[in-house]
Amino acid sequence: MTSAGPQTAFRVADVLRGRLEAPWEVYGEHLRRFEIHLSGDRIEMIRGPLEMEGYGLRLLRRKEGTLGIGFSATSELSTPGIARTVEVAEATASHARFPAPKAELPSSDAATTGDIETVDARLWNEPFETLESYAHQLLSQFDGRGTVVPSFGSIKATLSQSTISNSQGLERGLDRTTVEFEFAVKASGGPEGAPPGEYWVVRRQGSLPTDGIASEVDHWCRQAEAIRRAGTPASGPQKVIFPPHVLADVLPAILGFRLSGAARLRKLMPEPGAEIGSEKVTIWDDPTLPFGIGSGAFDDEGSPHSRRAILERGRVVSGLYDALHGAAFDLPSTGNASREGTFTSESIRFAHSPQPGTSNLSWEPGDGGTDEELIEAVGEGIWLEQLGYAFPDAFSGAFGGEIRVGYRIEHGKLGEPIRGGIIGGLLFGGPGEPSLLRSVTSTGSRPRTEGSLRAPSVVVDPMAVAGGTGT
Amino acid sequence: MALLTDHEDHFEKALRRLEAFSSFAELMAERSSGGRLRFDSSAVSPGPAPRLGGVVLRAWDGQRWVEAAVASFEPTALAATAQQVIHRLPARTSATPPPGEAATGRAERVVDAKRPPSSETVEDRIALAKEWFGWATSVPGIHNAIISLFDTEDERLYLSTAGARQYQRLVRTGASVVPIALENGRVEYDYMAEGRLGGYEVLDRITEDRVLEVARESQELLKAEAAPTGSMTVLMDPSTSGTFAHESFGHGTEADQLLRDRSYLKPLLGQVLGPECLTLVDDGSWPDGWGTIFFDDEGHPAQRTVMVDHGRFVEVLHDRESAAAMGRTARGNTRRADFMGRPFVRMTNTMVEPSDWTFAELLEEAKEGVLLQSCTSGIEDPLGGQMQIKVKKARSIENGQITKRYSSMGLSGRVLDVLRAIKGVSGPEDFAMSPGSCGKGHSDILPAGTGGTYLLTEAVVGPA
Repeated sequence: MTSAGPQTAFRVADVLRGRLEAPWEVYGEHLRRFEIHLSGDRIEMIRGPLEMEGYGLRLLRRKEGTLGIGFSATSELSTPGIARTVEVAEATASHARFPAPKAELPSSDAATTGDIETVDARLWNEPFETLESYAHQLLSQFDGRGTVVPSFGSIKATLSQSTISNSQGLERGLDRTTVEFEFAVKASGGPEGAPPGEYWVVRRQGSLPTDGIASEVDHWCRQAEAIRRAGTPASGPQKVIFPPHVLADVLPAILGFRLSGAARLRKLMPEPGAEIGSEKVTIWDDPTLPFGIGSGAFDDEGSPHSRRAILERGRVVSGLYDALHGAAFDLPSTGNASREGTFTSESIRFAHSPQPGTSNLSWEPGDGGTDEELIEAVGEGIWLEQLGYAFPDAFSGAFGGEIRVGYRIEHGKLGEPIRGGIIGGLLFGGPGEPSLLRSVTSTGSRPRTEGSLRAPSVVVDPMAVAGGTGT
Repeated sequence: MALLTDHEDHFEKALRRLEAFSSFAELMAERSSGGRLRFDSSAVSPGPAPRLGGVVLRAWDGQRWVEAAVASFEPTALAATAQQVIHRLPARTSATPPPGEAATGRAERVVDAKRPPSSETVEDRIALAKEWFGWATSVPGIHNAIISLFDTEDERLYLSTAGARQYQRLVRTGASVVPIALENGRVEYDYMAEGRLGGYEVLDRITEDRVLEVARESQELLKAEAAPTGSMTVLMDPSTSGTFAHESFGHGTEADQLLRDRSYLKPLLGQVLGPECLTLVDDGSWPDGWGTIFFDDEGHPAQRTVMVDHGRFVEVLHDRESAAAMGRTARGNTRRADFMGRPFVRMTNTMVEPSDWTFAELLEEAKEGVLLQSCTSGIEDPLGGQMQIKVKKARSIENGQITKRYSSMGLSGRVLDVLRAIKGVSGPEDFAMSPGSCGKGHSDILPAGTGGTYLLTEAVVGPA
């Protein structure tokens, strides 16, 4: 979906066209953010509109068999501001070096796939009203719950209008809604001695669905109460079930780098055909997910992209390339240019030069059935409900964190809650190294979308667990 | 280039528009810029940090704050943004002022960078990175090293209807060196990072000896053994103890969380929580710290706050509202990530103060356990009182001696248990500050320094 918005890149490109040596590219963005902050059961602060408009200019300059990439980003949209941006980008290009003799930026000839849902229309048209309505609906779910109450939260909606223009004549635009949701539920009271328990939900998603709030709040309240009576897990290798919301914090960050042209340049990408997972692991790069964080008919350079297998039955199918990293290996772009920056939860893309990465990931469902059937099949093990933070390390492939809440699986059923201790290891490693992907023994049949990942729950056996007693 | 203060008349006009509709209003204008360089075996990528600028306006509606922001200094855009705030204020101006004491100071403070980043050419930066790269890759087995240089200039002007005018220009410079060791598809690395308030003189701390050491450590990690799991004696290095102070205790002392009943520390103020050797401090006025500021984003001067004094929990960090609610004074800890971000009670530079143990004594005391090194991250659990800290490498302690290597470990535990289990903290000769990034929850990331010495305690550890 594209609206007749400020068309930032097109306006900047109009100034540059005919005056700037090709190739060049402008990524423009106009953002309006609206926020509601919650403290306890009240709205603490209303913020918005918070408006940001800016662009990133990228220049590709040939020099002695390599390319000099110049990039400069700014919110200065005046003509002198644009002139300064060109000057800075040219200066950096003259000192930069990238190992490709040339690169082709996409042209407008490249067809893109059809409409992909990236805009929550209600949020787009009535942002404050939609956020306030959602906040009131959310808070009203706690009426009558007694000692289980909301403690802290924020709902932030960013409405972005992105535009791309380049010296090849390409002009594309994409509207997108992004919702950052953070909410903590506290359980307290009851018999003396038990400290309060808090379940802390953090999400980034493309829409703000109101369906299912009641059942979600029920789930969060149960987790907050479970934390109060949680025990410590035992140490040692165990069967662990990872639900999609836990996998979403690990997979995109590590696979997005290690299967990319950027990793291949540094000899860190496994060769196509290499085995890095079990036969249960088939994963697609999937920009078609409705309201996925990385969804859209084209990537952040304007190249068309489509659903494509990157891991099939545990083996690497192919890499992820943008125009530049594709050129380094004499390959076309796979439509995987991304401007999502590390730690940029605030959704500003124009400030980042594109890098190859995943759009969204889709993990092919298996025959493991529902979560309840996976639990029954596991028999004895751990259901991992939430990690503190998985801190995925894209270079080494390591991940891991503290168990904020999980459950013992006993006799094929969820048992007592657990908390504390560490679950972690490698997502994928070198040949023969134990890893999560190599240890997947079963995949569920019911995928769910969490941010930029659609996946079922998966069983990992064995997984290292550090708990109460040492080994 | 024009200064932020060149637009001050426009800012004043926008603020005066709000004054007619609110008992108190304030404005924070910001402009940021800087430089970056990434250098490794495959590419040289210099580039400026984004040049961003804008203004946030905040007004009190009698019950809560209302804010709007715009990435512009143009009078029409500022007027429109003020109008957006006015639109959300009640028709009748409330006479009720916001809680707490408004800052009234008027000052200008600028970081005195001896070698301002703006005077360093791209060639100078590349030459520096190339030299470090050469040192790192001179170690056998290290074929690549990722060198990153970064500097920012952050200019902020705070104005309020109470008469405050606080201008500050902060220059931060930092760098990291990450030598990559690769063998049969296994990837390992150690890292070093420096970052402080100041110019390129900060990077003089990155020496050949330090780069060689971190490169050798990266290579040695290829031989790392499987990490132990379970509860054991843990010796934290200075980077880890600093993160421990920040994540485990610092977030729990942010007073907005106490007002929300969202801190496990709330009922413990005034109590003894740790041994005599434990003193924890937050200090926004620390000379040249990565998280140092002159004023906070409510206009209050930054200062030193002792949170734990020789084991006793004595003070928390405040903004104007929490200070009023708890009968204290604002302590310069209200920070916005940028003009688009909201103000929160935040840490600045958080540290474990040195005590009087030596490293050798702590090792001997530990007898068996692990030494955690090169901290990479942590995350808070303000109500639950748990903590998670991750490190890039660790060493086994056997019989008081450092032995085997482990890679990528995590630490977990109840903060109060870990505090009570502290056996010793080493002296000033081991003290080190590290640059870091801090979020409030999972957003609003801003620069924060951490510091500490070696600290001996007990916790659960495992691979992560």
